[in-house]
Amino acid sequence: MSENIKKMLIANRGVPAVRIMHTCRDRRVPTVAVYSTPDRLAYHVMMADEAIHIGEAPPIESYLNMEKMIEAAHKTKADAIHPGWGFLAENADFAEMVKDAGLKWVGPDPKVIRMMGDKIEAKRRAQKANVPTIPGISNVNSVEQIKEWMENESVDFPIMIKAAAGGGGKGMVKVSNNDELPMALAQAKSEAKKSFGDDTLLAEKYIERGRHIEVQIVSDNYGNVFHLFERECTLQRRNQKIIEEAPSPSIDENIRHEICYTAIRLMREIGYNTAGTVEFIFDSATKRFYFLEVNTRLQVEHGVTELITGLDIVGLMMDVVENKELELTQDRIHMNRWALEVRVNAEDPKTFSPSFGTISRLQFPTGPWLRIATGVYEGADIPPYYDSLIMLIMTTGRTREGAIKVMDRTLSRNLRIEGVKTLTPLLLSIIRHEAFKRGEFSTRFIENHLDELVSMFKEKDTQDEVLKIAKYVAEITALGPQEWM
Amino acid sequence: MKANEITKDKWIRPGMTPAEIVKFLRELDGVALTCTGMRDAGQSDFKNRHRIHDLSSLCPYYEDMLLFSSECHGGARWHVGIMNRKESPFEEIEILREKMPSVMLQTLIRETNLWGYRPYPKNVIEYVVERVDIDVWRCFSFLNDVRNMRTVAEIVMKRNRLFQPAISFTQAEWTTNEYYLSVVDDIVSLCGGVDEIVLCIKDMAGVGSPERIRSLVDAIKQKYPDLIIQYHRHATDGLAMPALLAAAQAGAKILDAEEDSLTRFYGQPPILGLQSYLEESGIPVVLNRDACVKAVQKIRDWIGHYEWAESPFKGFDHQVTEHRMPGGAFPSSFEQAEKGGFLHLMPAILKLMSLYNKIVKYFDVTPGSQITWVTCSGIINKYEKEQGETGVKHVIELLTKFVEEKNQDFDAMDPKEQEELLQLFRHAPGDFKNLLLGGYGRLPQGWPADWVYQSTFGDEWEEKIKERDDSSPLDSVKPDDLEKIKTDLGVTLGREPTDEEFTLYLMHPKDTVNYIEFREKYGDTPLVLPTDVWREGLKTPGDKVEFELQGKPYCIELLSIGAEHEGLIHVVMKINNKTKVYKVETPRAKKVEIRMAKGENEIGAPINGNVWRIGNPDRGTIKVGDIVHQGEEIANLEAMKMENAIVAPFDAVVEEIAVKLNDQVQEGQLLFVLKKRD
Repeated sequence: MSENIKKMLIANRGVPAVRIMHTCRDRRVPTVAVYSTPDRLAYHVMMADEAIHIGEAPPIESYLNMEKMIEAAHKTKADAIHPGWGFLAENADFAEMVKDAGLKWVGPDPKVIRMMGDKIEAKRRAQKANVPTIPGISNVNSVEQIKEWMENESVDFPIMIKAAAGGGGKGMVKVSNNDELPMALAQAKSEAKKSFGDDTLLAEKYIERGRHIEVQIVSDNYGNVFHLFERECTLQRRNQKIIEEAPSPSIDENIRHEICYTAIRLMREIGYNTAGTVEFIFDSATKRFYFLEVNTRLQVEHGVTELITGLDIVGLMMDVVENKELELTQDRIHMNRWALEVRVNAEDPKTFSPSFGTISRLQFPTGPWLRIATGVYEGADIPPYYDSLIMLIMTTGRTREGAIKVMDRTLSRNLRIEGVKTLTPLLLSIIRHEAFKRGEFSTRFIENHLDELVSMFKEKDTQDEVLKIAKYVAEITALGPQEWM
Repeated sequence: MKANEITKDKWIRPGMTPAEIVKFLRELDGVALTCTGMRDAGQSDFKNRHRIHDLSSLCPYYEDMLLFSSECHGGARWHVGIMNRKESPFEEIEILREKMPSVMLQTLIRETNLWGYRPYPKNVIEYVVERVDIDVWRCFSFLNDVRNMRTVAEIVMKRNRLFQPAISFTQAEWTTNEYYLSVVDDIVSLCGGVDEIVLCIKDMAGVGSPERIRSLVDAIKQKYPDLIIQYHRHATDGLAMPALLAAAQAGAKILDAEEDSLTRFYGQPPILGLQSYLEESGIPVVLNRDACVKAVQKIRDWIGHYEWAESPFKGFDHQVTEHRMPGGAFPSSFEQAEKGGFLHLMPAILKLMSLYNKIVKYFDVTPGSQITWVTCSGIINKYEKEQGETGVKHVIELLTKFVEEKNQDFDAMDPKEQEELLQLFRHAPGDFKNLLLGGYGRLPQGWPADWVYQSTFGDEWEEKIKERDDSSPLDSVKPDDLEKIKTDLGVTLGREPTDEEFTLYLMHPKDTVNYIEFREKYGDTPLVLPTDVWREGLKTPGDKVEFELQGKPYCIELLSIGAEHEGLIHVVMKINNKTKVYKVETPRAKKVEIRMAKGENEIGAPINGNVWRIGNPDRGTIKVGDIVHQGEEIANLEAMKMENAIVAPFDAVVEEIAVKLNDQVQEGQLLFVLKKRD
């Protein structure tokens, strides 16, 4: 029996909140935004049909505050909650609370979230479904324990310590030698506690020059599990993805077929019933892939898959929640173009230190073969409390080369953001780099080429130059002739 | 060739060898002109503030004017460019070359002092002169010490550019034709003859009376009939025109003039008037008058924007024949007097100068004019501070008596007066002392009297006299370590300096760094803005400024200026139709000072973030006085939910903790001061 969503509360902010509101609007589902005090005038609040204040700036008091979210849904008479990505998106307790409150949860079953959120259990499930996994050890508590495991299984450095409940690069620390172990362990534990409220850790062999490939899955309550092909997310900085694309330039048709059906097998095994992603690490030297984790939520980079397949993943998630059977068959899902996404983060492109403040100018790129997902507008403030992502830029082309050309045009001529620093110069350097163009890169590409990438930053841009002149005119207009003249 | 037959394609142009130029001039029937509109005119009457933005508007006319050269470079224009106009002399040349490729560009250089104020070592002179793209190098020595010109001459002649040695001219009982002929002899011998040079007579104060100049030019021509002579003269005494005519009649081939609309009192005489006066007197002049009239007219478009830069001392001054302040130093001296609040002392200072230059003999031109100015204005100011107006009067009387009545016979003065004279130079500037010791080279009339040393150096005077060295600075100044200076500049800038930046830095280190920082902040502002906006901004809402930048048009329009509030003024402008608000801090703005970490004992924040922990979980909070160990985490910053451990770089005692828990810090901000433990 189908039960249509009457009003959707989006338990998120910024780019994901706005993205979800767009599909809700397409389907004429009214939306409710939630906001913390500094987000009172944020873009997602303006985009929603109504908005409700849920607490102070620190996420723990607002966007991570589960009781407030449920209360907000009741108050506004929303009957469904979409968590977006980040914050409460993979929190099984919250999913349970939503369901217990009689609301529709736009995501997988809480039990599945819990199972996959526990990296140790997830790995066990993967092994059961005959999915290859990386050598590792769970429930890590001490340095000695890690050393013992490394000796017993003849694992060499580097290794990775991860939060069992983790994701998104938080609570993940790479360790290169014995000396780093104690501090890395402490840092991972602390970050895990802070980001996920759970400091259980695991350790794994770190695959050098591995490529990060993930398969987008959609499934429903009627046993249908489909893959929407893979995405390549290898380009990362401190384990945070910054450029993604679909399909992957790293694999051929055979591996594509194998990896996509392996993902389907796993998701079927765990009874998955919405949109989700199976992440693999691909060792390009041996052509082998290993299971990493399942992301039981909508992902930042879902847009590139939508662009190559023509499907609306948020819409499919809503169909599933409305208990509809997905009107798809695997052989009718095709990809007919290449899509590339860059994450425009408000960060210094040289040091990656976050850049907060007011966006004093925002000129959105336009032109053919382009999709923008923004979380901000001209004049908006970027508060220091949350994620630095302010905009996603996606471009497409008949080929990978075509998509890169459109991205180059977009970043170099069309986009203009003033008031805060963004990664844009770095993103442009990366997509112009020969190795990137050839599709030859690894998760360490940015670290290994940082100096070279920075040296490729364009020295002078006429827009920037004219602003320097304008700044002078403003100062002299206000202050009059100066002593030094 | 006759002057009236000259056309643009049959004229002197950049790229000709010095020998070709000299040959051409020898065969020319008539005189040619150097236009000083782009340098000395501005220096003498407008404090060198004429901006290349305005000057370059004259290029299309200069291109057709048939000038011998455009004096557009050097002198104090170099330094004032980086210090006040925020223009680099290198970009000026680049602009002029592009806009008037057929015009010979001329500089003025101060032998070993280059475009600075002290003798530079030989390796610096070589480095600088090799890198400046100038066709005509007028080089003078304020001591007429021709030895000091050697390095500049060698490099210029090796580069096949025209070297123009100058003799510094003044009116004094010792500056006879014989004296000048001996200087010319030195020059001819330095330059290997007269076939590849033009000799300049540099009358920088404008003191040569017509007959004096006629006689000097004639004497030189008698001895060196093939030598091409150029006469450079300021108009200060009011006798420039007849003096130039006398020079031309005696055989000078090139004369200096400036556009009529630029002439005031202390620069060169008006070019159109000069042409007309010479031709009426039967001397043909190479000049395309139509183009020149347009240039004169063009200047009227922008000269009004420089009224503020004009000298507060107005009118010609025939007294210059006594005090001899050079035209180029007039406005800047009066500017300093105005800023220092002693403009009313100027008559006394000028009088003192006229007495001083009989005691210490050299030529009042850079750096000599600065030494004279600082020494004399210092003495007058000191007397005024200590004894008021009476004191000023007294010191003038004392020196007048000493110089004019007693003919500088020290022993003829009363003991009390002697005592006073022996204190006169005690507070003289270091450059004056350096001059007395031979730091700039040999003085034209030998060392001053011993009492001057006693007055300057006190008890040490006899030792100092033994230290005197009359060799050229080219031999006595030790070479600079160029690599090290370049590295230092790189450290200051945080990047590799360009050759041009380094060249500027060699002469004016502090001003060059300021200039580079200005240009990094404000880009091409000095090159594109018209002068009224450059100086005063936009005045009323609706005012706009239009300009081109990198080949595209731009427009900045003022929408509103807010009232000052807590040290801030909001200025709203449209930049190419897009509105933008600028918050401008006034001098009353409250400055929140952030201490940045410097040196290895100060630990700075690696990122912008929040200090969420001071110390570490094992030992808890760290306090001042605690001992920390190498590699130990001493604080942790969080930004966008990522943690960044701050670790102690060595075993140390915590001397200071500069932040509090939960402070938001910026990259580089000081967190800890540590003291190393051994």
